[in-house]
Amino acid sequence: MFSLRRWCLLALSLAGVLVDAKSSTGDSVLVVVDPAQQDNYSIFFNGLKDQGYELTFRSPKVEKPVIIEDNVSNFAHVILLAPEAKNLGKDITPQSIVELLSLKTNVVVALPTKQSPLHALAAEFSLILPPPGSPLISYSPKRDTPSTLIPISVEDHSSPVLTKHIRPVWFSGIPQALGNNPLLIPILRAPAESFASEVTVTSGSAEALVDAAEKGGEGLWAGSSLSAVTGFQATNGARITFVGGAEVFSDELAQKEAEQYVQSGNIDFVKEVAAWTFQENLVLRIEKVEHHLVNGTEPKETYTINDNVEFSAYISKWNPAKGEWQPYSGLKDLQLEFTMLDPFVRTALPPVNGAPGKYSTAFRAPDRHGVFKFVINHKRKGWSFLESSTTVPVVPPRHDGYPRFLSAAWPYYAGAISTSVAFFLFSTIWLAGEARDSKKGKAAKSE
Amino acid sequence: FALEKPVCLLKTLMYYPLALLLLAVTAQASVLTLKSPRFVVSDSTGNQLRAEPTASPVKLGARESLKITFQVVDKEDEKGVQPHQTFIRFYDESTGEEGIQPVRVTPGGKAKFDLNLSKPPLYLPPTSDKPLKVSLIIGTPNYDPISAQLFDLVLPRSQPAPVHPDEAVFHPRPELQHTFRPEQKVPNKFISLVFSGIAIAPWFVLLGLWSQVAPRATGLFSPSILPFIASLGAFEVLLFTYWVKLRLGDVLLYGGILGVVTVFTGRRALSSIAAKRTQ
Repeated sequence: MFSLRRWCLLALSLAGVLVDAKSSTGDSVLVVVDPAQQDNYSIFFNGLKDQGYELTFRSPKVEKPVIIEDNVSNFAHVILLAPEAKNLGKDITPQSIVELLSLKTNVVVALPTKQSPLHALAAEFSLILPPPGSPLISYSPKRDTPSTLIPISVEDHSSPVLTKHIRPVWFSGIPQALGNNPLLIPILRAPAESFASEVTVTSGSAEALVDAAEKGGEGLWAGSSLSAVTGFQATNGARITFVGGAEVFSDELAQKEAEQYVQSGNIDFVKEVAAWTFQENLVLRIEKVEHHLVNGTEPKETYTINDNVEFSAYISKWNPAKGEWQPYSGLKDLQLEFTMLDPFVRTALPPVNGAPGKYSTAFRAPDRHGVFKFVINHKRKGWSFLESSTTVPVVPPRHDGYPRFLSAAWPYYAGAISTSVAFFLFSTIWLAGEARDSKKGKAAKSE
Repeated sequence: FALEKPVCLLKTLMYYPLALLLLAVTAQASVLTLKSPRFVVSDSTGNQLRAEPTASPVKLGARESLKITFQVVDKEDEKGVQPHQTFIRFYDESTGEEGIQPVRVTPGGKAKFDLNLSKPPLYLPPTSDKPLKVSLIIGTPNYDPISAQLFDLVLPRSQPAPVHPDEAVFHPRPELQHTFRPEQKVPNKFISLVFSGIAIAPWFVLLGLWSQVAPRATGLFSPSILPFIASLGAFEVLLFTYWVKLRLGDVLLYGGILGVVTVFTGRRALSSIAAKRTQ
């Protein structure tokens, strides 16, 4: 029946204190794992279930449930935890996993040490894997475990993905060398003394290492530039995490001591990895944007050159604990661009005091007319990408939009007004005056 | 254990084998030590420039070379050991760039490392003015690992690491401001006043002449003429108001109304004047 742990959690949930972390994109998770190994990961799976995810387990040999059906993904998230399986089913291929990402499904992939199609998948994401059969090895720190089982200590703030302090993590698997792609986010770096090599050390192993290094290119996988767990955020926001080996998730390593009397941080680490990959943490979105003249409230259809325009953006962050989007004013370096083919204006969009989630700035529209765009393009490692583009025409002033009553025109005003006044006076005097002269003239003539 | 010790103490320990006895952490596990370590910096012609690493950073010029030789032996029986991993690691703390090179070690434990800057090897990380921290990492099964800071190395500047073209978007970008056309210069107000004065100067002449010969407007308030004068005045007021704030549509409307009125008042006024003339 239920274990003691489940009863405690049930009691806590009835008391309403259950820690629930919800994903912003859905709760259905497909886990591809060998049924014989499934119990090895029970702490991880139960942790996910307690957070509210619905796990569906699938054996690598079985082909149901299908992940993509009719161009729609059946699950919100996928975990591939079967590195020993030679093939994962007809519908799980590197191409289909990339298509999953384009359908905004997040994936966690455990990489195998032997050659497998997943190596080709990692190469799609600019990860360079060592040759098959060479896992990560480290002889330091001195310990009783085999050289392939490495305790990696995690520094706070070493990766944006890890939002809390993590105790040292036991790792066993292959390292990944990072290509030059800015979408890659290393989550756990390999220790400086580690390197990838065959496990059995023979007399030729040291020579092989030197020869591999002298071969050039990526001959030697060594040092802290390697990553043991790497994340990748695609341009549409979907996240995929490559974990060097499936043992990181196992119960045995979760309960092992990392240092004297200090339990390993594996549980917290895999929870953080799952939280980031499944779009719980570091997820932002733009609620709406508005633009108007500085002293106005309604957006104008077109703006005039040299107008003072105010632009505001409302940004919220997903709160996994409450399961809702909340206004977020923590972005310190948000920038706005006013672009027509090239940015004309790039200013900071600071948060507004007193309005949570509102970022606002005012600037003067350039004196070139044309069709401009308000562009927000905010990309930071680990955070979701914020992109927004609002098109607005900027027109030259209308015939009556120019400044009037200039001091240079005073002579002309004086002249024109004089003419009007003179006309009025003349016509008044002519109309109102006596017709004396004609009478006199007639009288003179008649005389 | 080695990384926390001060570098200068380590250097003395590294290069005086007897002092290495202090490094044994446990009595049980096997410990490796380095025998006869030698460190030489020489320039392109082979002259020795520096034979001992001291506390100051080692500077290597563009054509100089650095040679490090040592032998890895088991501490207890002094036999040579070929470790699985003998790496020299170059690390730039300010940028996080790292380069690692395995050192070729013979089965008897003799190791030789040569860094010749006239042919810079590929494993060197991109360097700037900051020194690189050089450390030695030795690991092999059944022995305690060694991870020892050796010295700081200052290399000539290199090209920076290649950056992906999209990398700039991931950081705040420089602010741009549009340079506006300079405001149109308005000429001096005094000049405008002078010319306005010239424009209204004839009025003074007129007023002066009128003081001599005053026009008489006797029929001004007669009921046949005054409305017409008022209509003309209204037209002038309409013209002025159009100039100040009205729009064409409104003006045409008001003008049309006024025009009709003016026709009637004008006929009356002019016919009364004509009648007066023919009398």
